[in-house]
Amino acid sequence: MNIPYRKIALACATTAMAVTALAACSNGSDSASSSGAKSLEIVYWNYGPAAESGNKATADAFMAAHSDVKVTLTPVTGENWGTYYANVATLIASGKHPDLMVISGEGAQFVHSNNLVQPINKYLDKDSAAKAIVGDIAKGLIDGFTVKGDVVTLAYGWNDMVVYYNTDLFKKAGIAPPKPDWTWDDFKATAKKLTADTNGDGKPDQYGFTWASNEIFPGIMPWVANAGGNLTSDDVCQATADTPQVNKAVSFLNGMITEGIAPAPMPMSDVFTRFQNGQIAMFGAGRWPIATFLPAGFKAFDIQLYPKGDTYKTVFGGAGYPILKSSKNPDLAWEYQKFTVSNEIEKQYVGTPDKPGDSIPSRRSVAQTISKVGVPPANSDLYYNSIDDYPTLVPYPAPAKYSTFESTVLRHLQQIFAGEASVSDGLKSMQSELSSIVTC
Amino acid sequence: MSTATTSMSPRLGRLAARVLTFLVLGIAALAITAPFLWIFRGALSGSDAELYRLPPTFDAGTLTVRNFGRVTEQVPYFRFFLNSIIVSTVVTAAQLITCSTAAYAFARLRFRGKGVLFALVIGSLMIPIQVTIVPLFLVMSKLGLTNTLWALILPGIFSAFGIFLLRQHFLGLPRGLEEAAKIDGAGQFRTFARIILPLSGPSIATLGILCFTYWWNDLLLPLVMISDTDRQTLPVGLVLLAGRFSTGSLGTIAAGITMAIVPVLVVFLAAQRYIVQSIASSGLKL
Amino acid sequence: MTTSSTLRPGVGDRSVTDPGPPAPRPRGDGAAALAFLTPSIITFLVFVLAPTVGVLVLSFYNWNLLSDGTFVGLDNFDRLIHDGRLLGVYGSTTYMALAILAVNVVLGLLLAVLLETRMPRWLRGFFRLSYLFPFVVSASAVALIWRFLLNKDLGLVNYLLGLVHVDRIDWLGSSAFAPVSVIIVNSWKTIGFSILVYIAGLQSIPDQLREAAIVDGAGAWTRFWRITFPLLSPTIFFLVVINTINSFQIFAEPRVLTQGGPGDSSRTIVEYLYDRAFGDFDLGYASAIGITFALILVVLTAIQFWFSRRWTFY
Repeated sequence: MNIPYRKIALACATTAMAVTALAACSNGSDSASSSGAKSLEIVYWNYGPAAESGNKATADAFMAAHSDVKVTLTPVTGENWGTYYANVATLIASGKHPDLMVISGEGAQFVHSNNLVQPINKYLDKDSAAKAIVGDIAKGLIDGFTVKGDVVTLAYGWNDMVVYYNTDLFKKAGIAPPKPDWTWDDFKATAKKLTADTNGDGKPDQYGFTWASNEIFPGIMPWVANAGGNLTSDDVCQATADTPQVNKAVSFLNGMITEGIAPAPMPMSDVFTRFQNGQIAMFGAGRWPIATFLPAGFKAFDIQLYPKGDTYKTVFGGAGYPILKSSKNPDLAWEYQKFTVSNEIEKQYVGTPDKPGDSIPSRRSVAQTISKVGVPPANSDLYYNSIDDYPTLVPYPAPAKYSTFESTVLRHLQQIFAGEASVSDGLKSMQSELSSIVTC
Repeated sequence: MSTATTSMSPRLGRLAARVLTFLVLGIAALAITAPFLWIFRGALSGSDAELYRLPPTFDAGTLTVRNFGRVTEQVPYFRFFLNSIIVSTVVTAAQLITCSTAAYAFARLRFRGKGVLFALVIGSLMIPIQVTIVPLFLVMSKLGLTNTLWALILPGIFSAFGIFLLRQHFLGLPRGLEEAAKIDGAGQFRTFARIILPLSGPSIATLGILCFTYWWNDLLLPLVMISDTDRQTLPVGLVLLAGRFSTGSLGTIAAGITMAIVPVLVVFLAAQRYIVQSIASSGLKL
Repeated sequence: MTTSSTLRPGVGDRSVTDPGPPAPRPRGDGAAALAFLTPSIITFLVFVLAPTVGVLVLSFYNWNLLSDGTFVGLDNFDRLIHDGRLLGVYGSTTYMALAILAVNVVLGLLLAVLLETRMPRWLRGFFRLSYLFPFVVSASAVALIWRFLLNKDLGLVNYLLGLVHVDRIDWLGSSAFAPVSVIIVNSWKTIGFSILVYIAGLQSIPDQLREAAIVDGAGAWTRFWRITFPLLSPTIFFLVVINTINSFQIFAEPRVLTQGGPGDSSRTIVEYLYDRAFGDFDLGYASAIGITFALILVVLTAIQFWFSRRWTFY
């Protein structure tokens, strides 16, 4: 090819200079609209219609209570929490200064280590109303959002991992509902009874149990925790993925596949839909499935604690509105954050039987109304009780590079569950890769 | 006797070839369309449970159009539709203009720096948008255009592929065309508009289809550039329908896909026929 | 032969540096060229070249979108050499891309040629439409449906295969079949376009040539290899170039179907790069990967152009 490379290089260099000059010019002039009037900009993950209406309701209620404040909502799209964070980061990189952003528990370390948030410790110390609120929130939820002593945010809602079971399938198989003190052996025996060939082609088409292949939290974490292990050390400074405890948990799940009690793992969305349609008898998740199940008219399910292994620990994650460093009005932002955990707003997360909330309210007093309002499942009190009654897994393993961490863990698990690596080899290579990702 | 057998076997052979031809074409058609039959059937299904049954069942009595209503309830479908139409048509129209004029210059004009410029064009074909999306976002935000439809339109106007495609076509047109035009006293622009363009229907239609479908389906740019729901496009609507962690109802998603396909299909059908017709009848077969 | 080839429709190529049809050394059309090129040049500079230069600059920085970037020289390129996964990902990308390319170019040609058979107009239209159908749909939406159908233990595809006694195939979870699924789903989506381009190419071949060959007693096979194939070579070349560029850049299918796994068996380089950028927030390193990738594509395309000069018939 007869391309004059020198000329191309020259053209590129010229453009580069032009671009940098352009950027330099516009950098200084970024003061924009904040004219001192009281306003708040809130960024949230727009995962669907429910996110928009929920955030709008909160913002409207806040403005009704504070008539001099203008709240601007900035929905940010993303296919999951990870791409949402990336898009928020892009937004901030382009010069926007939101006051608060919605984050999930996995994001706490991320926003903290990137110096994005203002910790709320000082507000908690001097705000007496806050003290009353904190007393009504399970300690685990505060600890879960504390990074190196800094409280990143109050959580407005949260989820703990419980087992969902299809009550129709249990009835059909003549199995009694599981008890809270069931063990791994009980669990496996139950799952085995629920695995069946219903269309008579000689292969099972109904399975006892499965778990999400694309997430750690409702995937292997409850098993790892109940085996007494964790994927990282408690200070999230070191990976601990190849311990005997983790091995035990992963081997147990792998055994379910090789024995044909669990199908080849699939993503959470597929698990949801197949559970509703009776192809899967049990799976694990937080409270969020009911926001899909109930509006679809599916009510034949209940929940129970995960079976006990060598121990029992509650695995949970939450979400909150941390105050961002970029906020020009942190005091007002704190009022907003406090407002998101007020009784008025927390009631939204309870919901109604037709329009249920998709997470558990953080306020104990509010969460306890779920069963009174009659939002299924019958055993709903379990959601909050588990975090009060059992030792919680604190912190949920969420290193600053959470997204890398999660994709690495999942990639190795995928190989193990496909039978392409033995459990111990797979965990060993997972550990060696994680050791450079989980650091302090 | 012997003549009969020799004349029979080629006829038999031809028959076998014909059967085989239609078998291959038919199987391919079935294999390619089958997932759509499933999607359309899903869009009309009364409950998701029907979609999971193995073997699949079909009961005309349970068919319903309720899923389409759900789509419009859950997302502002018509708003998305309008935005998608605006973005796709404006990009397509603009791209056809910039690409055809640039391709004309590259194919039929002589000027200094042509080699460098064309090499740059081809080079930019190699860079996937996922690579440049962050700097592109920064450019857009410096221009103050993020969260507007412009952010979806402007990056699509330049198309290295389009220039490449049309240039190849223009190169193939006989040189005599311009000479005749020149004798008639036509300038470059008139030659381009009156002589070259009318002979390029198929290529332009091909580019138009490609461009329209690409931007109709593009997900990355709206996800990154647009934050207001009201300014989103249909592919984002499908993501929203799929819901948090894609846990939405399959029937509703299938209905959403159906509603997103139909308009493109109409454009496609029209343009596809036009391509074939114009190849058959245009001056190409001089 | 020569006349027909100069009159082929716009699907074919000479070469990148083809100076265009010869003309007596003129004054040049500088002013006109500038007018014709201005819209493209402006949009190219602002929306293509500037971001590309941005990527080049970024590759020398360590930047996570949020904090200020730090200049790290060639560190990011040094990391490329020590990245244990990069080669594997390039391997999977190449494997899937070549397979998709082959399906498009070979199967596409077969179907297009078969479509030339005499048949009722409506039937031809029906076939053509069927093949084009998937092309109009958003890749990620359709991949979601495919994931459902290809599920190993509960999917329709394995159920149907089970009826003919094929054991359940782990389409999405095994490293043997995960890339195959990506190849199938992507080829399924793109083959209609290749067929369309072939049809246009085939129709440009003058009927007289084939009729003359029939008079000479040439069979269908001979006619194809002696007349159709050589005259189609520019079209084939065009499809090879375009499909190479497209198939190396696939992103949505592996992401939705297999999440790139198991391991990296169905991961494409664009997906890998995207994860480094938006999963790890490692923009500098992602840019360095992007640059290697763009260079590889440039070289590949250059080779194709070089090869085409000896191979295509004009």
